Amino acid sequence: MSKIKAENVNVYYGSKQALFDVSIDIAEKEVTALIGPSGCGKSTFLRCLNRMNDVIEICRVEGSIKMDNLELNSRKLDVVRLRESVGMVFQKPNPFPKTIYENVAYGPTIHGIAQSKEEMDQIVETSLKKAALWNEVKDRLDEIGTGLSGGQQQRLCIARAISVSPEVILMDEPCSALDPIATAQIEELIDDLKKEVTIVIVTHSMSQAARVSQKTGFFHLGKLIEFGPTDKIFKNPDNQQTQDYITGRFG
Amino acid sequence: MSEKPHIVKSYEEQLQLLKNTIVKMGTGVEKQLENTIQSLVKKDISLAEKSIKDDELTDKYEINIEEQVVNLIALRQPMAIDLRETVVALKVSSDLERIGDLSKNISKRLTKIGTDLPNDITKNFEIAGLKASKQVNAVLNSYLHRAKDTAENVWNSDEEIDQMTNSNMEAAVKHLEKNKNDIQKVTQLLFMLKNIERIGDHATNIAEQVYFLITGDYLEGDRPKG
Repeated sequence: MSKIKAENVNVYYGSKQALFDVSIDIAEKEVTALIGPSGCGKSTFLRCLNRMNDVIEICRVEGSIKMDNLELNSRKLDVVRLRESVGMVFQKPNPFPKTIYENVAYGPTIHGIAQSKEEMDQIVETSLKKAALWNEVKDRLDEIGTGLSGGQQQRLCIARAISVSPEVILMDEPCSALDPIATAQIEELIDDLKKEVTIVIVTHSMSQAARVSQKTGFFHLGKLIEFGPTDKIFKNPDNQQTQDYITGRFG
Repeated sequence: MSEKPHIVKSYEEQLQLLKNTIVKMGTGVEKQLENTIQSLVKKDISLAEKSIKDDELTDKYEINIEEQVVNLIALRQPMAIDLRETVVALKVSSDLERIGDLSKNISKRLTKIGTDLPNDITKNFEIAGLKASKQVNAVLNSYLHRAKDTAENVWNSDEEIDQMTNSNMEAAVKHLEKNKNDIQKVTQLLFMLKNIERIGDHATNIAEQVYFLITGDYLEGDRPKG
């Protein structure tokens, strides 16, 4: 079932067009990977899904992006509410310079989700458990989040993202700063989270896209060149450009 | 799809080496089979002995290809056409090794029973053997030239060898009924005929792999059988 349906999305940075007529159906409770060379528009597209492009003044987004029939590209949309439903994890772990507990409690606090201290404790614990971090931090929740290792910080950011029970999580190269063990932990987490959440991940690692996703989209020069089941894309893509890219023949 | 070279030259070279090794192994196996059949046709047992000896090289090629494939998977993580190239090489080398083994087996039987054999059966053997050789040659060409149609033709014409084998076996049994003293020779010839039929089957397996290599799809339907 489709969770997000983008139709004819065009994005401009001033007079420069960054995305051309991108149409894509993102399935619910699946992992969709977006791949492509640097500057191909995959992150730009990802940022359309929670209106992160709003912060770039010269950026203009045209076309329709619907999440469960809610038009995300409407000026009337409550962007704060949208970001409660569509969380984001970035390339570099970016915990707040606050305690581990406060990092996770931040979202539920600003969105007024918890009614009591007990309820907040519960949310923090559940989120950290879902992010597979609880066992490592349960005895030091009052320590500063930025003191954790890179992989732990990234899982803390994922815990922070899931603390408000989002329906979708966007991940922009979430493992590019992590070692292979921390990467495997995040990938295991992605596998687990997809039972409840729709995930869209931008990655430069072909093998990571192949490992974690069910659908893959290949972007090139602002266009979605090919989109389909991940096994098909990596075993026998229809498009020559896709094949050239994933086999290292690009350029 | 026509392929551009890889950005990383050493990867391109490794894939090319893998293809070249398959072709070399295939050429060797073809020669082995030819020597085996010609040994009977020309009544020259030294050709059979050569085929037996050359099987050592075929086995070495198989090990070498396996090493190349394992290295490519471990170090390059091939994708799409490169992944098919790698996996297909492993399977094709295994079928080629079997063809080499079967040729060697026929040759060994020949060295045991000699070349003075009933003419009617050896004629049948020769026809079926040449047909199998042609199949092996065609399928190796389809691999070398990425010729999908040739692979399909090989796949479709295995039936002929199967039918030949059935009638050759019947003829051999009939010969035996009339010439009971030939029992030892004819028994060996029955195995040799069966080996030719198995060689045809391996050529067909390779045809399936070549088709998969080129298209990414599997040849559909039941393999034609005699």
